[in-house]
Amino acid sequence: MKPFARLRSWLKWIVRRARLETAMEAELRFHIESIAEDLVRSGVPQQEAMRRARIQFGGIESHKDAIRASLGLRLWDELGMDLRYSVRILAKSPAFTVIAILSLALGIGGNTAIFTLINQVMLRHLPVRNPEQLVAFGDSEYGGIAGGIDLGAFGGYFPWDFTRSLQTDPGPFQGIAAYCSFSNKVSIRPLAASGTSNASSPAVLAPANLVSGNYFSVLGAQPLLGRTILPSDDATPGSGAVTVLSYHFWQQSLSSDPRIVGKSIAINGTPFEVVGVMQKGFLGIKQELEPTDLWTPISMQTVVLQQPSMLTPHSGLYFLHLFGRLSPRATSNKAELAQSQNWLNQQVRNGIREREGGTMSAARQLEISRVNVPLVSAAHGVSLIRSQYGESLKILMIVVALVLLIACANLANFLLARAATRKREIATRLALGSSRARIIRQSLIETLLLSLAGGALGLGIAFAATRVLIGVVSQGNAYIAMDPTPDTTVTLFTLGLSLLTGILFGLAPALAAARTGAASNLSAGSRTAQGGGAKSARLWPKTLVTVQVMLSLLLLVASGLFLRTLRNLQNQDYGFERSHLLLAEFNARLAGYKPSQTPGLHQGLIERLSALPGVRSVALCATPPISAGTWSSSVTIPGYTPAPKENRHSILNRVSGQYFETAGISMVAGRPFNDADSANSQKVAIINQTLASHFFPKGDAVGRSIIIDIDSVKGPWQIVGIARDSKSGNPRDVDRVGMTYIPLAQIDPYLPADSSAASATGLAASTVVREENQDRYAGMILVRTIGDPAQSIADLRAAVTSVDPNLPLVRITTIHDQMSNFITHDELISSLTSLFSLLALLLAAIGLYGVMSYNVVRRTNEIGIRIALGAQTRDVQWMILSESLLLLTIGVGLGLPLTLLTTKYIKDQLFGLSALDPMTFTVALIVLSAMTLFAAWLPARRATKVDPMAALRLD
Amino acid sequence: MGKRLDLLQGTLDMLILKAVSLGPLHGYGVLLRIQQISGEQLEIQQGSLYPALYRLEHQGLIASEWGESNNNRKAKFYRLTVAGRRQLHTETERWNHMASLIASILRTTSEEV
Repeated sequence: MKPFARLRSWLKWIVRRARLETAMEAELRFHIESIAEDLVRSGVPQQEAMRRARIQFGGIESHKDAIRASLGLRLWDELGMDLRYSVRILAKSPAFTVIAILSLALGIGGNTAIFTLINQVMLRHLPVRNPEQLVAFGDSEYGGIAGGIDLGAFGGYFPWDFTRSLQTDPGPFQGIAAYCSFSNKVSIRPLAASGTSNASSPAVLAPANLVSGNYFSVLGAQPLLGRTILPSDDATPGSGAVTVLSYHFWQQSLSSDPRIVGKSIAINGTPFEVVGVMQKGFLGIKQELEPTDLWTPISMQTVVLQQPSMLTPHSGLYFLHLFGRLSPRATSNKAELAQSQNWLNQQVRNGIREREGGTMSAARQLEISRVNVPLVSAAHGVSLIRSQYGESLKILMIVVALVLLIACANLANFLLARAATRKREIATRLALGSSRARIIRQSLIETLLLSLAGGALGLGIAFAATRVLIGVVSQGNAYIAMDPTPDTTVTLFTLGLSLLTGILFGLAPALAAARTGAASNLSAGSRTAQGGGAKSARLWPKTLVTVQVMLSLLLLVASGLFLRTLRNLQNQDYGFERSHLLLAEFNARLAGYKPSQTPGLHQGLIERLSALPGVRSVALCATPPISAGTWSSSVTIPGYTPAPKENRHSILNRVSGQYFETAGISMVAGRPFNDADSANSQKVAIINQTLASHFFPKGDAVGRSIIIDIDSVKGPWQIVGIARDSKSGNPRDVDRVGMTYIPLAQIDPYLPADSSAASATGLAASTVVREENQDRYAGMILVRTIGDPAQSIADLRAAVTSVDPNLPLVRITTIHDQMSNFITHDELISSLTSLFSLLALLLAAIGLYGVMSYNVVRRTNEIGIRIALGAQTRDVQWMILSESLLLLTIGVGLGLPLTLLTTKYIKDQLFGLSALDPMTFTVALIVLSAMTLFAAWLPARRATKVDPMAALRLD
Repeated sequence: MGKRLDLLQGTLDMLILKAVSLGPLHGYGVLLRIQQISGEQLEIQQGSLYPALYRLEHQGLIASEWGESNNNRKAKFYRLTVAGRRQLHTETERWNHMASLIASILRTTSEEV
């Protein structure tokens, strides 16, 4: 018989327990009555027969018990009894139970919360067919448009024509598909039945991603409704106005319209037919903080990106990412995988050679032959969040695991102490015939009850905590691809963790309990029952406390290092004023402004905003003083001969007149921009110290000129001032970067008529319609306020609306919030580590206090005798304190090397201090010692209050 | 009762299977039939009969249903299942093999060694 069938039969008995009991009863009674009938037949009187039958058969109950045992139901019954007993025991000491469940809930909840994030950010596979076969070409995490780079360089950027050739010939891959390296916001309006854009209804801004025609088929993603984008949609640039919607967008913005497929919506004013809606969990291969809501064919690039066509051979614009689906063999076989990798590198190298043409130097030949675009597993998708937060989450996971360990040590100690006081009960049970296994089992059931209750509560705590954490990670984005609701994986994790926890802190006390000798403890007095016990039973609590001290030290040091890292990041010199500054992102292009219309708009905005009460100054610029994306280019200085391969890179910004006052960037030399720098005056530029000292080491920058290597803003520009260096991006970057500022007002709204681009596309040089200059837009309003900048947000909105009610303000933040976005994970890790280390410290203090108090109670007799023999208060106090100090010393002695070893692994997360920062270690040691003394002081004081007479009369 | 034989360890299951293989029986009937077949020489421990019956049913070797006894009372009747018949067959073979083996060992005389 199969074990499974037997289990089913067993479960049947458990479920139909009542029926089993009645059947047994009836069957056994029938048996007795049959014996009696036979006896009557042989001449015994009825009553006597019944009596004899009962004697012959034996007790019905013992028969039933034997049957239950043979069916394996005894175990079940005993478990039930143990469970009820355990509940009674726990209910009898509610304070202990509540503390135990709470500390477990915090420990397990913290673990579950961090695991939920790890699961979502790092473990979950893409909801597509065979995700393990997907590989990204290069890491693909960042997005943008690059020029003048090699194919696949800087994390996998490719131009359109190259991606097309790989799509048609995917070599050893099952398929290769492309998508735009970034999703950009488009304005969406529903279309009226007539097919004209319904201008009266408000536009919705949503992120759209351009994808190749085979994107969905290579990904292996199925739509919920309709179809996905097909190669035929993406066949010809300019045609294929179709779109596939995300489930989220369909649900939120189109109220889950079931007949949406076949209808049209206006994207940036152009009608697109909705051909499908994706499944719920599908977010595309690239998971962004604000997930993609629409997918459109790359062929519609000009409409979606609102930029001139990039879909020409040799456009020189690298804006697409590639990914491929490996053959099943290459997925499992290293050699096959290497072949796919080689094939890709070959394509890339050939592509580079073809693009460069002509003759190449041997050095360049060699460089090209070494180009490598790594295949990066995309089974979990491509995610910047993962690479940014992955390391922090791993560290936090370890931190919460340590906290849980400390909580376990506490409970183990409590239970050990209780096991000692319950020795008599256990001895009685043993004497009455209970097996040791049964006592261990009951004890474990008790701890499992605690840990499971803690786990259930922890799941709730985790849900709340995860919501907060996701809020932090999403940096205020309204909707993000993470969900705090625990899924099956998380629930199983919590269940497993609870069971493990229960066994971890329950096993030692259970074994200690079972080791109790039956006879000795019954006969001995209560004094020996508490004071005696094996040496190991007295060693255990102290070992556990020492471990707690060790782990607390580790956590304290880690949190100290992270806190100081955060402070270093926040307090470093940013080069601009970091208070009273409000940033508002706006998009004039989406509102329909042509570059030639921007001067009027900019003027209107500056005038209206400057007039607001509480505003000191206002400026417009392309990018704020600190931002993730920057405008940059190489620059050329007339009369300066650069060394080969010299870095002539500069971050660029186009700004309005009051920019330097508003941002609070001071001038080192020369003058800032002013209103006199207009379209008709001499073109002027301001560079920062780094650029000035690089190109003009003699300090003669002012008065010289600079040329920017971008045709639309080429210059030459005359340098009129040198600004202080300022941080422009990641606060962890310590490299100094050159910056060049030019006045918005002096940028020609039209591209130069003789631009090489125009002649390359075959247009006559004297064409009447001049192409507009996309680099004339400003994207950011800076407002320096007198009071709290957050107070001015409503005024700012109203002022912008009064200039143009259709001008979308994408985001308004204070400079403080803008900067926190760069150090979110530093804030996250430092605040959480501090929180958890304080929790750990508290738990360790409770643990130490518990052990010391118990020691005092246990040694009441001894202390009484000592006092009676003339020991002074000081001696008694010292006796208790010295014991805790010994534990502290051992804990620190073992903990310091452990901490020194461990902090090496978080070196990369630190900023501006060493992993062995003496200050942090000192503070951690002081805090830990203070905690130890405080926790030991109360029991020590109680020891001095022992009345010798009462202590001696005890028992 | 003293001259009755105690049951060898582990043979009760086999005897029960044999008893119900001759026709459905209730628990008391199983007891009587084994005693009757053995010529009243085997004594079955009262306490081990029912656990054995329930265990065999749990293992799927016998099945039970409620029916009418000879004296028109409700009783639980056990019968052999297909699996039980197979089991009885193998057990019997094994027993016979074992018995002849042991018998031949016990018959051995000093000259034969």
